Amino acid sequence: MGTNLSHSEKRTLKRFVALYALLSFSILILISQLYLDFEKDLMLRKKQVLLEGYAKELIENLKNLHINLDKSRKYPRNDKYRSAIYDKERVLIFSTLKESSVQLDEKFYKSGKIIHFIKQPNAYFLGSYYVVVEIDDNELWLSSSYKNLLLYAGVLFILFLIVGYFLSRLFLKPMREAIELLERFIQDTTHELNTPISTINMNIEMLDLNSVGEKNRKKIDRITLASKTLSHLYDDLSFLLLNHKVISNDETIDLKTFLQERLEYFEQSAALKNISLHIEIKKSATIVMDRKKLQKLIDNLLSNAIKYNRSEGSVTLILDENSIIVQDSGLGIKKKNLEAVFDRFERFESAQGGFGIGLHIVYVIAKEYGLKIGIESEENIGTKVGITW
Amino acid sequence: MVKKAVLLFITTIVLHASVFEKNCNSCHKSFPVEIDKFLYRYILKHSSERDVKTALIEYLKNPTKEKTVMPEPFIKRFGIKKPTTLSENELKEAVDDYWLMYKIIGTLY
Repeated sequence: MGTNLSHSEKRTLKRFVALYALLSFSILILISQLYLDFEKDLMLRKKQVLLEGYAKELIENLKNLHINLDKSRKYPRNDKYRSAIYDKERVLIFSTLKESSVQLDEKFYKSGKIIHFIKQPNAYFLGSYYVVVEIDDNELWLSSSYKNLLLYAGVLFILFLIVGYFLSRLFLKPMREAIELLERFIQDTTHELNTPISTINMNIEMLDLNSVGEKNRKKIDRITLASKTLSHLYDDLSFLLLNHKVISNDETIDLKTFLQERLEYFEQSAALKNISLHIEIKKSATIVMDRKKLQKLIDNLLSNAIKYNRSEGSVTLILDENSIIVQDSGLGIKKKNLEAVFDRFERFESAQGGFGIGLHIVYVIAKEYGLKIGIESEENIGTKVGITW
Repeated sequence: MVKKAVLLFITTIVLHASVFEKNCNSCHKSFPVEIDKFLYRYILKHSSERDVKTALIEYLKNPTKEKTVMPEPFIKRFGIKKPTTLSENELKEAVDDYWLMYKIIGTLY
């Protein structure tokens, strides 16, 4: 048995990767934003000094115009910047601005690709309570910042990837070790089970049932049943251990006869729990499969339906043209557990024994033959497992 | 008939001469400092139309050295004017006309 990632391990790993990616991405975005803000701030500081100079020059020109109003009323202009003056009531006196709406409460700000600087002069030349100076920002700083950012973010991303890889290995290590330990244990146990089970089975078969009394026969029946269960478990475990080494011997199987046989096989164990077995043939069907594997698939479903049933419950096998449904009147499975029922070693009912490998075997076989498994369950009402092809 | 018409015309002009022309500009015309310079000083100190007009009316009603916008040498030479005798409405009308005539806003190019 290999130590490939199981379904639950993959799911855990996926969740970890998603969470890690989300976290890394958030950190990258945060750092990028901080870097861009820093660059913008740096650029604005430089521009602020420039704009302060322009505003000073403009105020000087406004002063000259104010003094010489009777000679000229031509508003001072400069190619390097655009400007506007507003009175105390924020009424526009004159403007050469590109943008008509100005935030007079701000001192210095960038809106789109335009930078504004607002100054309140000491004397209100021409009535100017607010003097606004405006310049265009060619955003050269932004493209150079983006280039740097791409480089830094790339390096950081690679760093995150490396850290993430080692973290995930570290994270999965205990899980892998636990699974390996369990696998090794099962492997050893299986080997040890082989001889005693064979001995019990052989001796039961060799027993002359006519020579034992009625009382003892019942006991022997129970021993036979227990031995059957053990054999079944042994088969499942061997299947899991040797799954990849067994070559399938596919043949066309008549499902009606096959299912009837399997029901008969389980009659004894069902009777022990007073569970009634039914078969409903909607339409006869055949399937091309390895007989042993199909048997394992159906047996596991039936065995579960009996095992997790209530006393005096029922199990119904329904055969249709391209589906087999096993329906029980049992305990049901909680909705949150439905997704994981096919995982190896997954068990939700601790009152019953088992390794939690039955449905995993069903899953492995169904996957090999491209069969779809559907499972519906309601707690305390029952479970319905459908195999379709 | 013609005499009556001419008389009516003259009477109309006299009656319609603005409060500002009749009560302010008529005297200021003879001053060495033109009347618009006063408004520019008010604008320099008070900025907006509302504040300028409020300060002007306040000063005309009760002129003091503390409230004047004119420099000290000017006051030393010409002194402080006497309080206005105009009514509140007349004063307001005169100040409105004065603003309209010499305002800066809307006249720059």
